[in-house]
Amino acid sequence: MLSVNGLYAGYGNGDVIKDITFSLMEGESLSIIGPNGCGKTTLLRAIANILAHQGTIEIDGKSIAMMKHKDIALRIAMLGQISAVYFTYTVWDTVMMGRYLHTKDRIFGLPSKTDTECVMHCLETVGLMDEKERGIIELSGGQLQRVFLARTLAQEPQIILLDEPTNHLDLKYQIELVEYLRRWVAGGKRAVIGVLHDINLALRLGDNLMVMKDGCVQVYGKTTDIINAELLKNTYDVDVVQYMRESLRIWENIKH
Amino acid sequence: MKSKVIIVVTVCLAVVTIGVAVGSVNIPLYDVIRIALNKVLAVELPPDIKKTTVDILWEMRLPRALLAFIVGGALSLSGVVMQSVLRNPLASSYTIGVSSGASLGAGIIILYGISIPFIGTMTLPLVGFVFGLVTILLAITFASHIDRRMENNTIILVGMVFSLFVNAITTLMSALSREHIQRLVFWQMGTFSGKGWATVFILAPIVVVGAMLIMCFNRELDIMTFGEEQAKTIGIDIKRVKWTLLIAASAITGSAIAFVGVIGFIDLVVPHVVRKLFGSSHRIVIPISILLGGAFMVICDLIARTIVTPSELPVGAITAIIGAPFFAYIYFRRRAAKC
Repeated sequence: MLSVNGLYAGYGNGDVIKDITFSLMEGESLSIIGPNGCGKTTLLRAIANILAHQGTIEIDGKSIAMMKHKDIALRIAMLGQISAVYFTYTVWDTVMMGRYLHTKDRIFGLPSKTDTECVMHCLETVGLMDEKERGIIELSGGQLQRVFLARTLAQEPQIILLDEPTNHLDLKYQIELVEYLRRWVAGGKRAVIGVLHDINLALRLGDNLMVMKDGCVQVYGKTTDIINAELLKNTYDVDVVQYMRESLRIWENIKH
Repeated sequence: MKSKVIIVVTVCLAVVTIGVAVGSVNIPLYDVIRIALNKVLAVELPPDIKKTTVDILWEMRLPRALLAFIVGGALSLSGVVMQSVLRNPLASSYTIGVSSGASLGAGIIILYGISIPFIGTMTLPLVGFVFGLVTILLAITFASHIDRRMENNTIILVGMVFSLFVNAITTLMSALSREHIQRLVFWQMGTFSGKGWATVFILAPIVVVGAMLIMCFNRELDIMTFGEEQAKTIGIDIKRVKWTLLIAASAITGSAIAFVGVIGFIDLVVPHVVRKLFGSSHRIVIPISILLGGAFMVICDLIARTIVTPSELPVGAITAIIGAPFFAYIYFRRRAAKC
């Protein structure tokens, strides 16, 4: 469904990511892990067509370099780190913005019945139906991030890119987000690529795992096949498995 | 929401009516209505109304009030666009240099009496527009070079630097041609004095077309307030939309300023007030800003020409006296909130 071949991208002074190659099938999810500054976000931005790139990114065999801007946006949506809100809109209006390309009325942007139903469904999914009339400036960070998730879903994309979206979320919503996306990706011609800070969430989200270092792919494959203590230790520069085991001991001693 | 809109429209009509009724000669409201009926619907004029009253109302006050309304609306609208496109509550044509650029262009025209062949009376608005646009292009290009992420403060600071620089050129120019200095200084302070129907007929179509074009982008403006990257992934053709909007906003500001001089702060203040009262949705913010901006300018002009009769104050000073404290309030309140 998505195939990336020999991808280079950067910000003017040299490439941040170098020679990235991987592919995703329908219904698959991929987690990208690696130390800060290794190029995870840059890779997502290149796939989302925000950054100029060299090499090829293909969706269903079509290079995005040959696709119109709108056709790319209809297929790929990105949920990023929470951004500053300068002007307040209601929760409903914010989610409706995700329908931008779907709304038939181009001039006044009056939503169709399909648009309204889609927004309602997305708000229910993130559990914010009761807050739909509230201004987003009044919301907590976690609620705001759920509004942006609903807006991303309202785009009805085929591929969702996640750039550390869980930063402001309570544990409950972090887990729910990952579980929801796993169900979402299984429900059709879809794929998810996630950059998640939390190693537990990353492993739960991705059937596939990509480990990046210094802008290059270090290891890539089925999560269950490639994951081992040595790999995690090298990636995070700390013995993750040992750390998790120690944590587990604490958990086991907690009384029910 | 509907009742709020009705209130705004009523306020606008009331303000324009008061604007034409009050002055060195006060015209009773009843007479204003009767003269209007005579002019618009050709209802016969009662004999107790003098011809001079009709002339004052129809040839002087009404075009002046309408011009003030159009300019106020145009400036406020450009403020809305600048703030949303640049994602910056402090951005406006005034703070970002469009006004200074347009005023330099108009200064050249006024000082040297230039008239471009074929376009005649359109020379002034056209040059104002071009100079305003060039200034903002330079400012934004410069800002994006020194700060790739175009942070809020960078844009404001660069805009200020460009404004001051361009203003200095205008000042130098006027200092070198002393015979015109008074005219130029008065013009720079902004005034609606002595403008007739001709100006209204030139400016109105420019502003109406510009406003309609901007209104077509109301959804894009909403989405762009969340930042360019998000707007891009939602499917907006950022480059095209951004430049179309900036050019449209500069066009209406530049041509308005070329006629009436620099009038600051209204483009900063009105959008804020409108967003506070009506929410941020541009479908509402755009028309209401035009209406309230227009009404506000008519009031400022009314104050400017009546408070020290028989002489007149520059209207730019009135808007700044009201606008500057407001600007400071917004800026420092935001800073305080961050601490």
